[in-house]
Amino acid sequence: MVNIGFGVSLDQGLRRTVGVGLCFCSYLFLFCSGPVTAALPDEADLTAEEYGLAVFREADLRGAGYVDLQVNLEMILRNSRGRESRRLLRIKQLEIPADGDKLLIVFDTPKSLKGSALLSFSHKVEPDDQWLFLPAVKRVKRIASRNKSGPFLSSEFAFEDLTLQEVEKFTYRFLRRELLDDRECFVVQRKAVGKYSGYSKQVVWMDTEAFRIQQIEYFNRREELMKTLKVEGYTQYDGRYWKADRMLMVNHQTGKSTELVWRDYRFATGLSEERDFSTNSLRRVR
Amino acid sequence: MKYGLAVVLLLGASANYAQAPGPGAEGVGNLVFGSFQNPHNAQKWAERVSYLLDTSIEVEQLHNAQRVWYRVVSSVDSTMTLSAVKRAADAHKLAYWRWMELPGSVNVADTTLAEKTELVEPPSSEYLLAGRDALAGRQAEQDVRHPSPSRPGELALPGDAMSATRQANTTDNSQLDFDLGLQTRTYRLDGFNGQSRFQPSLSGRLDYYRSWDDERQALTFAPYFRYDVEDSQRTHFDVRELFWSKVGTDWDLHVGVKQVFWGVTEFHHLVDVLNQTDLVENIDGEDKLGQPMVHLSLVRDWGILDIFALTGFRERTFPGQDGRLRTIPWVDGDHPIYESGAKNKRVDGAIRWSHNIGPFEFGVYHFTGTSREPQLVPWVLPSGEMMLRPRYPVIDQTGLEALAVLGDWAVKIEAITRSGYGPRYVAFNLGFEKTLVGIMDSRADLGLVVEYMFDDRDEQAFNTVFEHDLAFGARWSMNDVADTQALLGVIWDVKTEETIFTMEASRRLGDTWTLLLEGRVFGGADEPESGAVMQSLIDIDNKTASLQRDDFIQLELTRYF
Repeated sequence: MVNIGFGVSLDQGLRRTVGVGLCFCSYLFLFCSGPVTAALPDEADLTAEEYGLAVFREADLRGAGYVDLQVNLEMILRNSRGRESRRLLRIKQLEIPADGDKLLIVFDTPKSLKGSALLSFSHKVEPDDQWLFLPAVKRVKRIASRNKSGPFLSSEFAFEDLTLQEVEKFTYRFLRRELLDDRECFVVQRKAVGKYSGYSKQVVWMDTEAFRIQQIEYFNRREELMKTLKVEGYTQYDGRYWKADRMLMVNHQTGKSTELVWRDYRFATGLSEERDFSTNSLRRVR
Repeated sequence: MKYGLAVVLLLGASANYAQAPGPGAEGVGNLVFGSFQNPHNAQKWAERVSYLLDTSIEVEQLHNAQRVWYRVVSSVDSTMTLSAVKRAADAHKLAYWRWMELPGSVNVADTTLAEKTELVEPPSSEYLLAGRDALAGRQAEQDVRHPSPSRPGELALPGDAMSATRQANTTDNSQLDFDLGLQTRTYRLDGFNGQSRFQPSLSGRLDYYRSWDDERQALTFAPYFRYDVEDSQRTHFDVRELFWSKVGTDWDLHVGVKQVFWGVTEFHHLVDVLNQTDLVENIDGEDKLGQPMVHLSLVRDWGILDIFALTGFRERTFPGQDGRLRTIPWVDGDHPIYESGAKNKRVDGAIRWSHNIGPFEFGVYHFTGTSREPQLVPWVLPSGEMMLRPRYPVIDQTGLEALAVLGDWAVKIEAITRSGYGPRYVAFNLGFEKTLVGIMDSRADLGLVVEYMFDDRDEQAFNTVFEHDLAFGARWSMNDVADTQALLGVIWDVKTEETIFTMEASRRLGDTWTLLLEGRVFGGADEPESGAVMQSLIDIDNKTASLQRDDFIQLELTRYF
């Protein structure tokens, strides 16, 4: 679940290095003198579904291999009158190559939530395993992860928006290429597999340069546009992973918005599955 | 050393060479598996792809503006056809792009540029052939010889990663938080002994934490007090936690005063035995006193094993004569009777194994020691006044808790078997919980709980009111910025018709205040007549008789610092 990336940057965010896209385009542009679009091979050979899947697989691959990461997150909740409320969280994430990833989120503010923590093991196909630690009663409570369409910490982000978004959990359909803020993007529609999503579909803008998610439109079950996510401020870490430092989710139906500010990314910090991602580690979070 | 021209490395030659047809009608061309700025990463990835697909994979060097790129491509010389490589890549879910090699464009790299660029020397082919694991080992070795301080995660190797952490995390970390709470309880009626209807109190909690040694060691200190205007027994101080922790890779050791909770059900915490209940705080049994202990926890593939030595016994707190929510003859908690000759110095023990497998989880434990739950023994003072004294027997208790998440349902069970309270007996809680997300198109969630509580001693179960009781609960969460929540619950004794209604509602006011409203209503039992209080104590159909005048509403305002 929640994974860093908040769905976006961490998960599919950037994977494996810098871009095939860039490298490719410029290379072919220089030497083949064809149009840039010719740089994407086989587009014509693939169905829209296959091509959409290929785009997400590539994005997924580029984020793999990070081993583990830690990051601090500030959530800024704004209501329609612009009144703000802030939450601080710390996130630890561990890559489990054969399965999904493991995630620990610790809540620092507001103070009444301090010491609460969420542990989540994501899986490629099966539902995620999730536990919540309630510090007042020292209780670790298992929660049914299928309740994923509910809001995360009263924000405009649903649990499912923050979850580790394994490629296998969606079906895809490539729609078009278009410029978004002067960036060429793949526009791909995806639908969650299974009945527990709160959305009928999502439309994702992912740039062709480095396969970074730039924007997502979320449609509710009645197929109405419900929310838009904008991702900004991508920075490349370790010459490989692109991580955004700012995400803005606007709910068009309520006028509320939530901004996520990511700070202090650290990779391969030596986290251990047993020490940092067991229910024992939940009990001793600080 | 420099890479020179396009084709640099040949990796992992395929064993299928001989059988595989040469590149043929399906065309010349390469599949591109990724492009990298760091040649090591390109090598690693090429190695992995080669290993997975069992074919030759190359790393090409490309130049684009000021940058050098390393591209992982299938080998042109490979004896596997393009479509065979594609099929293999699909089977392994590897993403790729196809690149048609155009005549005359083979010589991509600009030699001049390549010479200007400083590159890491590629590993020898001998070691590349030695396989992935060897690669990892060798690279770690190289890193020891040539440590790169600035980018700990670059090669993403375990040895590298560990040393990076040690460098990054050596600073101490300490946190200090506290909160103050103002509480008022208002009762519907005076108490049986004329106790006041209005009970204000003030509480404070401090939480200090300091870690050192890369967070491998930590000290936690959490004292607590409450000052109650009416009830001198409710005015009390307790060290909720004061312990030192040492955390290993797959074990934790904690020494000191600590709180440990076990259990899965919501209304009655049957299996939770380590900490004594702080009964004066609330009658729901969720407030606990600190328990001195040595606690070792082992995290293994087969689950978590916890071993406890419980050094010293804590006596339950009871409301005083002026307090409410008590038995009618009051309990003198300061003069207990122990079965054990060691009294409150007895060292008790517990061992517990817990594990989770996908949507299932369980814990089983055995506890041996002085029961946290007392029997209440009538006692007559020389003055003729009647009161009760707690008697703590020595018990052996085996317990089980289990939970399964089935779709949006959770099924839970807690069960114990206990000896030392007369004949061995069995008790269990069985519960179902379902959460409805986004009810009526709103942001709100509704959680529904049904639990059944059973004790095989039936009404003779003197130490509990949960012998054959049904409980229903509904928790409504607004999911708004203030975290507004409300909980309604009822416990109903299906035989005696006794009921306890519970209401809790809370919300945050700004970022640093919270408001909690709580209420309980007791019904279905007869109020004892004033001359027959002892009689009421043994009236098994009226165990809640003494609470019948204690319906209350509580308001609590807490400020966090």
